[in-house]
Amino acid sequence: MNPRPWWTRLGFSMLVLLVTAYCVFPVYFVLVQSLKSAEEDVAGNPLIVLRPSFENFEELFEAREGSRGFVGAALRRSYPFLDWLGNTLFVFAGTLALTLSLSLAAAYALGRLQPPGFRWWRRAIFATYVIPQTILFVPLYRMVLGLGLDDNLLALLLVYPTMALPFCIWILSAYFQHLPRDIEEAALIEGASRAKAFFQIVLPMSRPVIVAAGIFTLGAAASDFMIASLFLMSGHNQTIPAGLGTMEVALDELAPVAGINLMALPVVLISALFARGYVRGLTAAMVEGS
Amino acid sequence: MAYLLLSPALLLLLTVLAYPVGWEIWTSFTSYSPLQEGGAGFVGLQNYRQQIEDAQFWRTVTVTVVYTVVTIAAKLTLGLGFALLLSRPFRGRALVFLAVFLPWTYPASVAVMGWYWTLSPPITTAYSAFMGQVKHGVDGALGGGAWVFLTVTLFNIWRGSSFIGVLLLAGINAIPPELFEYALLESKSPWQRFRSVTVPLLKPFLGLGAFLSLTSAFTDVANVWMLTAGRIVFPVLGTQAYWLAIHAGQFGPASALSLLLVPFLLGALLLLFRLFDAPEREAA
Repeated sequence: MNPRPWWTRLGFSMLVLLVTAYCVFPVYFVLVQSLKSAEEDVAGNPLIVLRPSFENFEELFEAREGSRGFVGAALRRSYPFLDWLGNTLFVFAGTLALTLSLSLAAAYALGRLQPPGFRWWRRAIFATYVIPQTILFVPLYRMVLGLGLDDNLLALLLVYPTMALPFCIWILSAYFQHLPRDIEEAALIEGASRAKAFFQIVLPMSRPVIVAAGIFTLGAAASDFMIASLFLMSGHNQTIPAGLGTMEVALDELAPVAGINLMALPVVLISALFARGYVRGLTAAMVEGS
Repeated sequence: MAYLLLSPALLLLLTVLAYPVGWEIWTSFTSYSPLQEGGAGFVGLQNYRQQIEDAQFWRTVTVTVVYTVVTIAAKLTLGLGFALLLSRPFRGRALVFLAVFLPWTYPASVAVMGWYWTLSPPITTAYSAFMGQVKHGVDGALGGGAWVFLTVTLFNIWRGSSFIGVLLLAGINAIPPELFEYALLESKSPWQRFRSVTVPLLKPFLGLGAFLSLTSAFTDVANVWMLTAGRIVFPVLGTQAYWLAIHAGQFGPASALSLLLVPFLLGALLLLFRLFDAPEREAA
C-alpha cells in the first residue's frame, strides 16, 4: 500500500473505532450490567463494573423445584432455568437438523435436477416472505391446538424451519446450480448411485454454503420471541426467550439480564466461529447472481 | 425424483402457511370475533372499506411508511459503508468484521429485552435518572412516545445494518476484482468509481437486502411490541393489527389490515426478481 499522509490514516482509524463501538457497545453494556452486584447497580458507574460477580448468573440456577428465596415469596420467585436451557438446545438443534435436511433436498432438486419451471418454484418459495406475520399466530395457534401440540416444543419445530427455509433453499439451490457438474457425472459414470454421489461429492464441496444456511437458520430461530412465548404456556416447557419474558423486572431484575447473556453469548460464539464460512458461503451462492 | 425431494419442504411450508393464510383471508371478509355471540357473518369488503375510510388507518400507514423508509435507507447506507470498509485489507480487519457481524448474531429475542431494560431502566439503577432525562427531553420535543419509537428504529437499524453489511461484503467478494482494477485505471475520482461501478455491480445484493429489510420492517410486531411494552403511541400496521385482534377482539378488521400490506410487498418482490434474474435470462 502506498504511504498516505498521517491524517488520512488517523481518520481511517477513527472510523474503524467508531464502527466497532457502534456495533459492540449495546452488547457490552448488557454484559456489564449482568456482572454487577445490586449495590453497584444502584450506586456505581453504569459503564464499567469494578467488582464483577456472578451472583446474578448463580441466581438463575439455584433454588429449583419450586423452593423460593428467603426474602419473601413475592419478591423472589425461582425459575426453572435449566429446563429452559435444555428446551432451547432441543429446539435449536431440531430446527437446524430439519431445516438443513429439508432445504438440501429441495435445493438439490431445484438446482441440480432442474424440473421444468424450477426458477418459478424457487421464486414461489421465496415469495412466502411477503406473508405478514402480524396476526398469523392466531390461526397458527388454532392449528397447533388441532394437532394437539399446544404447550409442546414440537410446535416450534413446525414453525421455526418455515422462517429460514425460503432463504436456505434460495442460496443452496443457486449454489448447486452453478457447481461444476463434471466430477459428479464422472462418479455417476463410474457406477455410483445419485445418493452416493451426493453425499460423497456434492455435500463436501458445499460446506461453506451449508454453514451459511445453518447460521442463518440459527439466527432466525434465536430471534423469535413471540411464537415461543405464545405457544409455550407452562414454565417447564418454555425456551429461554419465552421464559425470560415472564420474569419480573423488580429489585432482582439483574437475573434476567444474566439470562440474556447466557442465551446470547453462546449463539454469538457459534456464529463467530463460523463467520468466515458464512461469508464464503453467501459469496459462493452469489457468484454469477442467481 | 425432483418433486419427491422437493415435497418435504413444500409440505412443511404449506402446512404452516396455507391454513393460517387461508383463515386470515376468509376472516377478513367476515365479522368474526371471539367476543361476539353467534357465528361470524359474511360482510364482504366492509372490513377493508372501514379501514380505508378510517383516519387512524392513514396515520398508521404514514408511520409505517416513514419507519420503513428511514430504516431501509439507514441500513443500506450503513451496511454498504461497512462492506466497503471491510472489503479492503487493513490491520485488525478480522476483529472489526466480527464486531460488524455481532449485532445480527446477537439473538433479537433477548436483545429486545436488553434494549428495553437499558433504555427504560427500572428506578433502581445508577443511570436511570440520566435515561429518564433523555426520554423526557425527546418526548417533550417530539410528542409523547417519540422516545420509545426512536429506540425501535435504532434497534432495527443496529441489527439490520449488520446483516446487510455482511451480505454486501459477500456480494463484493463475489464480484471479480478485475472489474474494480479496470475502474481504478479508468477514473481517478473515488466518488465516480463508486457511483458507476460499485453500485451497479452490487445492485442485486442491494435489492435483496432492501427486500429483506422491507419485509422485516413492514411486518414488524414483536420488536415494536416488546420495546414499547405494549404502549403503542406510534402504531405501525403490524402493532395496530395485533392490537385490534388481541385487545379489541376484531379479527375481521385486523386480518384486512394485515392483508392490505401484501400487494406492496409483492410489488417489491417482483422488482427484486427483475434485478436478480435479468442478466441470466439474457444469457440463456
